[in-house]
Amino acid sequence: MERPVFQPPGTPVEELDTPALVVDLDALERNIQTLQARFQDSSVRVAPFVTPHGCPQIAHMQQAAMESRGRIAVAAVGEAEVFAQSGFGSILVANQVVTRSKIGRLTALAASNDVRVAVDSGPNVSALSEAASAAGVTLGIMVELDAGLGRCGVAPGQAAVELARSVAGSPGLEFQGIMAIPPVVDSDTRLQLQPVLDTRELLEREGLSCEVSVAGTHNYDVAASLDGVTELQAGSYPLMDYRYCQVRPEFSPAAKVLTSVISHPTDQSAVLDAGHKATGPDRGTAVLEGIPGAAANRFSAEHGVVDLEESAVDQLRPGDRAWLIPNDLSLCVNQYDFIRVVRNGKLEGFWSIAARGRFA
Amino acid sequence: MTQIYRPAPGTPVEELDTPCLVLDMDSLDHNMDVMASYYEGRSSKLRPHSKNHKTPALAHRQMRRGGTIGGVCAAKVSEAEVMVHGGIPSVFITSEIRESLKIERLCTLAAQAEMLVACDDADNARDLSRAANAQGVDLGVVIEVETGLRRCGVQDIAQGIELARAVQSMPGLSFRGIMSHQVIPAMPEREDRVTEGYRVIQGVIDLKDAIEAAGIPVEIVSTGETWSYDVAGEIPGVTEVQGGSYLVMETGYGYMTDFHYAGKVLTTVISAPRPGVAVGDAGQRSIATLRGMPEVEGRPGVSVESMDPDHVVFRVEDGARLEVGDQVALIPSQQDATVSRWDRFIGIRDGKVEAVWDIQARGCHN
Repeated sequence: MERPVFQPPGTPVEELDTPALVVDLDALERNIQTLQARFQDSSVRVAPFVTPHGCPQIAHMQQAAMESRGRIAVAAVGEAEVFAQSGFGSILVANQVVTRSKIGRLTALAASNDVRVAVDSGPNVSALSEAASAAGVTLGIMVELDAGLGRCGVAPGQAAVELARSVAGSPGLEFQGIMAIPPVVDSDTRLQLQPVLDTRELLEREGLSCEVSVAGTHNYDVAASLDGVTELQAGSYPLMDYRYCQVRPEFSPAAKVLTSVISHPTDQSAVLDAGHKATGPDRGTAVLEGIPGAAANRFSAEHGVVDLEESAVDQLRPGDRAWLIPNDLSLCVNQYDFIRVVRNGKLEGFWSIAARGRFA
Repeated sequence: MTQIYRPAPGTPVEELDTPCLVLDMDSLDHNMDVMASYYEGRSSKLRPHSKNHKTPALAHRQMRRGGTIGGVCAAKVSEAEVMVHGGIPSVFITSEIRESLKIERLCTLAAQAEMLVACDDADNARDLSRAANAQGVDLGVVIEVETGLRRCGVQDIAQGIELARAVQSMPGLSFRGIMSHQVIPAMPEREDRVTEGYRVIQGVIDLKDAIEAAGIPVEIVSTGETWSYDVAGEIPGVTEVQGGSYLVMETGYGYMTDFHYAGKVLTTVISAPRPGVAVGDAGQRSIATLRGMPEVEGRPGVSVESMDPDHVVFRVEDGARLEVGDQVALIPSQQDATVSRWDRFIGIRDGKVEAVWDIQARGCHN
């Protein structure tokens, strides 16, 4: 586990021990408001996908920004367990849960929580039904459709209708609707989601009333105004990251890694104390913030090397601080156990990333 | 802590909740034996790098198995704390430690164990000296020299001698020696590794000779790692080798065939939505992919097509089968960056859980 130095509230941010995952509260609140404002007059509900940040405190802030507390979404049963303990009673596991052991954990959760889970196969429906019946609980079921991501999900249309029908006829299960995770690509979300909405119509015609839950932050404005969509699973918007801010500039990066210079071996280079393990680089390396002429070009497991040119040559002396913006939020947060929360440049406290590492 | 997944010893591997990080105990033992038999009876010794496994229990195993110098390396002060608190008697921090908060912690550790630390700058040495002196402890300083990595380190012999002299004169510090770290592209032929190893390590030996010629004894020459374990270990003058990757192993080091893959991530197929495609429950949050997708173990015709933070998508060739519920073992391309995403190892022997270890220094970035 991370072993932070628990410095007192009020500590100036630049005095924090590094590397540190730091969240700026003003930016976090602004990001939540920016997204939520779009849903003020919409019947679509936001279900925060809390997996990328894993932090109950942030999830509570996301829910507090809504008119009434709703559902959260997670990727793993282990995360659902953590959030249930933190007071979230309505949880969608937006993933398939297939093994006997994990289905058992899911039905145990459903004994005292409103639990939904995604399905995309008939045998999985039978297994869930059997377990839920045996445990005397009800599991809400979302049939997952593939809206172009090429990952999980049945094809929209007849295949989905058949699966939904089998869910509706299974004891212990309640068919709640369909869900889809469209890919983040430069194309029209409406077109991507049209087959999903068509499937909903087919289901309604069969007498199966049907919610439609779609992801994610990149689709938030379209989803908010699309007839037939009832829920948006959005995860990145509170903290954001470098990659997402390029396509959604109305949000700003609220989570950054504070790092220190530990060596300045030549005029043209400085070495940071944050490398791969402190930034989570697998979907793109972190970006050095705001020093013209300086770029973090080479990372290794424990170090980041900054190339210094022109006006940057004399900057970043040993002991100086620098900020790295993570390229992918979830992979960066994944490396920490605590978020250092700051406002106006002063530490407010340490928030636990309580669901970190609960992949199973 | 609540709800930590800790399967009981004897649990069959196919019953484990996935994803989980497992260690094949036979491979782990084999890898330690290779190092032990190479270094036993040699003047150079292995100082295993604990940044790779971050687990005191494994550090003790490495030391008990033999061939080591009786201590470990660590990358960070907090990692060193975990090792010292876990009973490791000697820890060498192979990074520069600059901030006063960290230096204070380092000196506190020096009261409990032998502490060595890398240094490449006289200002830093003064800070270390001041703190060590104030706390009444002795810090061993090892000067880092640049030998091709273009990262930290003094840049030439003159700088090295000057810094060694400065350190020698500072209260609270002992000048103990020099270190350097090198990375090479994959070299399957030992002959090539020998040539390359001698080439890159020569700079370290040159500095040692120069510092000794200046009248300052150099006790420690620390260099090399898994790829050069059998090269650095026989270069006259090298006293310790910083090997880490050999223990858990990875496909990136697959060309080092002396060692076996011990670390694997088990995943379960949660969806098989179309012919030729299956989806598993391990993603990039649990497996490092920067240096390549993981390899699928023992399932011909099945390979990793892509990964996202929470999923792995398999390509399943005609004739191969992968069904919902099947368990698949993935061998990561990079072990330390994978281990650093997990809170525990599950040790497996003969298809059953033998031990569960907390990866106590996971997340110790500071």
